[in-house]
Amino acid sequence: MRVRIWGTRGSYPVAHAHMLRYGGNTTCVEVEAEGHCIILDAGTGLRMLSEALQRLPAQPRQYDLLITHTHWDHIIGFPFFAPLFDPNVSLDIYGLARTQSSLRTTLAGALSDPLFPLQFDDLRAQLNFFEIGAGSEFELGPVKVRTALANHPYRALAYRLETSRGVLTFIPDTGPFHTVLFGEQRIEWAGQPTARSQSELRELAAMKEAILELAYGADWLIYDAQFTDAQYARFPHWGHSSASQAREIAEAAQVRQLILFHHDPHRTDTELDQIVAKQQSLAAPGLLVTAAFEGMELERRP
Amino acid sequence: MKVRFWGVRGYVPTPDAAMLRYGGNTCCTAVTGDQGELIVLDTGTGFCMLGDELMQGEFGRGRGTLTLLISHTYWDHILGLPFPGVVHIPGNRLDIYGPDSTRGSLQMVYDGMLSPVYSPVFGLAHIGATHRFTPISTEPFIVGQLTIRAMPLSYRPHSPIWAYRLEERGRVLVYITDVRYGESGIREAAIAFARNAHVLIHSAPYLRAEEVEDYGHSRIEDAIETAQAADVERLVLFHHAPTRTDDELDAIVDRLRQMLAAQGSALQLLAAAEGMELVV
Repeated sequence: MRVRIWGTRGSYPVAHAHMLRYGGNTTCVEVEAEGHCIILDAGTGLRMLSEALQRLPAQPRQYDLLITHTHWDHIIGFPFFAPLFDPNVSLDIYGLARTQSSLRTTLAGALSDPLFPLQFDDLRAQLNFFEIGAGSEFELGPVKVRTALANHPYRALAYRLETSRGVLTFIPDTGPFHTVLFGEQRIEWAGQPTARSQSELRELAAMKEAILELAYGADWLIYDAQFTDAQYARFPHWGHSSASQAREIAEAAQVRQLILFHHDPHRTDTELDQIVAKQQSLAAPGLLVTAAFEGMELERRP
Repeated sequence: MKVRFWGVRGYVPTPDAAMLRYGGNTCCTAVTGDQGELIVLDTGTGFCMLGDELMQGEFGRGRGTLTLLISHTYWDHILGLPFPGVVHIPGNRLDIYGPDSTRGSLQMVYDGMLSPVYSPVFGLAHIGATHRFTPISTEPFIVGQLTIRAMPLSYRPHSPIWAYRLEERGRVLVYITDVRYGESGIREAAIAFARNAHVLIHSAPYLRAEEVEDYGHSRIEDAIETAQAADVERLVLFHHAPTRTDDELDAIVDRLRQMLAAQGSALQLLAAAEGMELVV
């Protein structure tokens, strides 16, 4: 199992001289296992992966795309993925089942007039949609996949990918599990958390339990660290975590390497260096703290 | 009036070291009138950077007024809107002009773009600034001391694409993007609309010789031909292709300038770069 990170940024892509080292493309991670290609999220990093695939002597015919949720920063690379226009390609797309609209309708709506000059029917690849929920388990070639719910506005999935050669847990968008419980409704925020019912507190505790289980013992935990602690205090209703909250989850789940992810579009390379150094200095023994950068590769050492 | 470019890339943002000089953020151009009126042409990701700068002034205190002129609603022209803090500060005003589509009014398109399945904003109603949508027509309208005209430059009803002409004290700026000259009568309409502009900003992603699927989008040579036929003073190419490096763009502009000089053309040619400012 080899992991490559193609997009690291959250919210929106940003082209800025002081952010190039960690990168300005939005979320996209490639997992390769025994020739099987699995893609996590379709942010603008997917365009970079697409360009790299075009340079290969032979391209895969089959891809699996696992989508955490369909906020723009996680789907805007989708139409720039060249294999979509190849009739010999088959693409299986997994995402959260919703009562309001199907995954296909959501993607097609984003890709059609008047938002985009394509029609969904123009795509030549064979597309298969799989709507899944929290707690799903399935196999993609040699990779065992498991899901849980992240704590994010309108809900998002988190994924665990496991082979005998490594375990990756991908949680790009989640708030912590103590202040706000996100669901289908917008959270109004007037500077104070609203009183939470016992059932909400129980739901938050159960969600955290499932997330820790999803991350447990992982070689690599890619985790939302959009905020500083000061930003989290101001914007807890946005559904993102701070770097220290990410580290606490990594410690509780006893992962080997934390990869801070979904960088704020204002976060410079220098600031990220400092955040990594600080969280590493605070980390429990045995936990390696890193921040995702474009081009980062992860592979278990033999 | 003055122009400043905040996003000049077409289709998709390109955070790439080889493209930073011209810039990798998508379409957003700010025009400031002589009396300080602020008018923004399209809200691609360049709008996020403009928003950050506006935060330092009146907009940071909830006392700013912004006129947005939207050419059309493809991602690279609208997706930057909800991110800057200034659009969430009560008291700020956004006057948004643009075309309705047969698939829904401009307001409905923005509302859909911000719906919870796509955006944590949960819909247009939660944009904190006061916002008003006005569908455009070919009737001129006034913003401060500027007269603004709009003209449809595509007949595809699902995705209407409009151009803008801004005039102040006899000075003229024209903005034409994503135009499809293959449609009947569009070339003539664009030339008439750009007539005698002091500055023409025209999308120009690819050269005719480049074999790319580009949805019928105009080529760089089309922009030059329109500018020449309309007796434009300065032509600014923008909406650069996402694969175009700074060095390649430099070379293209050099070659085109040599071609214009050889023709004895008086047309001044520029390629828009992020941060570039022009006095019209």
